[in-house]
Amino acid sequence: MRSLTFLCLLFLFSCSDSELVDLKNISHGAELYKNYCSNCHQMDGSGLAQLIPPLYQSDYLTENAGALPCIIKNGLKGKIRVGSNSYTLAMPAVRNLSRDDVKDICVYVLQKFPKTPIVIADSVLKNTHKNCP
Amino acid sequence: MKFVYVAFAMLLVVGACSEKKKLPILGNRAAVERLIDGKLQIDTLYATVADFSLSNQDGKTITQETVKGKIYIADFFFASCPTICPIMKKQMIRVFEKYKGDTGILFLSHTIDPEHDTIALLKDYATRLGSDGTQWMFLTGEREQIYELAEKGYYATAMPDSLEPGGYVHSGGFILVDGQRRVRGIYNGTDEKEVDQLMLDMDLLKNEQ
Repeated sequence: MRSLTFLCLLFLFSCSDSELVDLKNISHGAELYKNYCSNCHQMDGSGLAQLIPPLYQSDYLTENAGALPCIIKNGLKGKIRVGSNSYTLAMPAVRNLSRDDVKDICVYVLQKFPKTPIVIADSVLKNTHKNCP
Repeated sequence: MKFVYVAFAMLLVVGACSEKKKLPILGNRAAVERLIDGKLQIDTLYATVADFSLSNQDGKTITQETVKGKIYIADFFFASCPTICPIMKKQMIRVFEKYKGDTGILFLSHTIDPEHDTIALLKDYATRLGSDGTQWMFLTGEREQIYELAEKGYYATAMPDSLEPGGYVHSGGFILVDGQRRVRGIYNGTDEKEVDQLMLDMDLLKNEQ
């Protein structure tokens, strides 16, 4: 029993140590997603018809995962292709979010919606955000 | 004699039941005296949506004649709206899909940002939402007319607000209007349960007409 507890503890620490998956940040990201993203992209990531692109199993999201902090920070203009549809409506920049907030949204979105969860280190996400064009 | 009382009571009960299944008529009402067959009678005048003249996404003029005798749902939105509009439109698609092809039912989505939402933009917006362009129409027109129609006709708020994301504040209501242009219900278009209720009430209203 004692060794099991130890294993569990080890598991928990290994997570936070590796900086990759932090459950607390994911739930913070989920809360922010609900407030800032879900109106358009919907809670289930399904988007809206052919007006607002889906995040759920989106090939665009997978291919542009590294740019996600900047898409949230600056918004997105111009035509994009997601699956077999193209979308033209501009995405507004999400204002009033700190670097950590954006990082937490990214972690949540990249865990939740792609076919296979995408893992990008917190420090990389924050650094990307800092150096957005 | 007793039998008459019982029959009367039963009628009352039946009457009360069918009364309950009717949707209320919203808005102020006035009593007017009318001369019917040479006799002066009191009649109730209900509030109705005023006459209007707007353009749809194809540039076609849409007036009260277009909705004559039809049940319709009105709502207000703007294309660049980052707040409640996409949620409302997701729900509206649900209602539209259910009544698609029903010639007695129309959907009128009014833009509250006519300067930005041009006819060409509305056309693209409508197509992307899966509208057929005739049963579900996207309307624009003089700003003043749209705002007055929203507030006085449909009891909805719509106004510019620089503090609001997107620059406008507006109600998320779906307004149910009957064939005589009387408002019969207002439902929160961002709430799935209220939209379910709207569809039940639409069926009630269809039976009434």
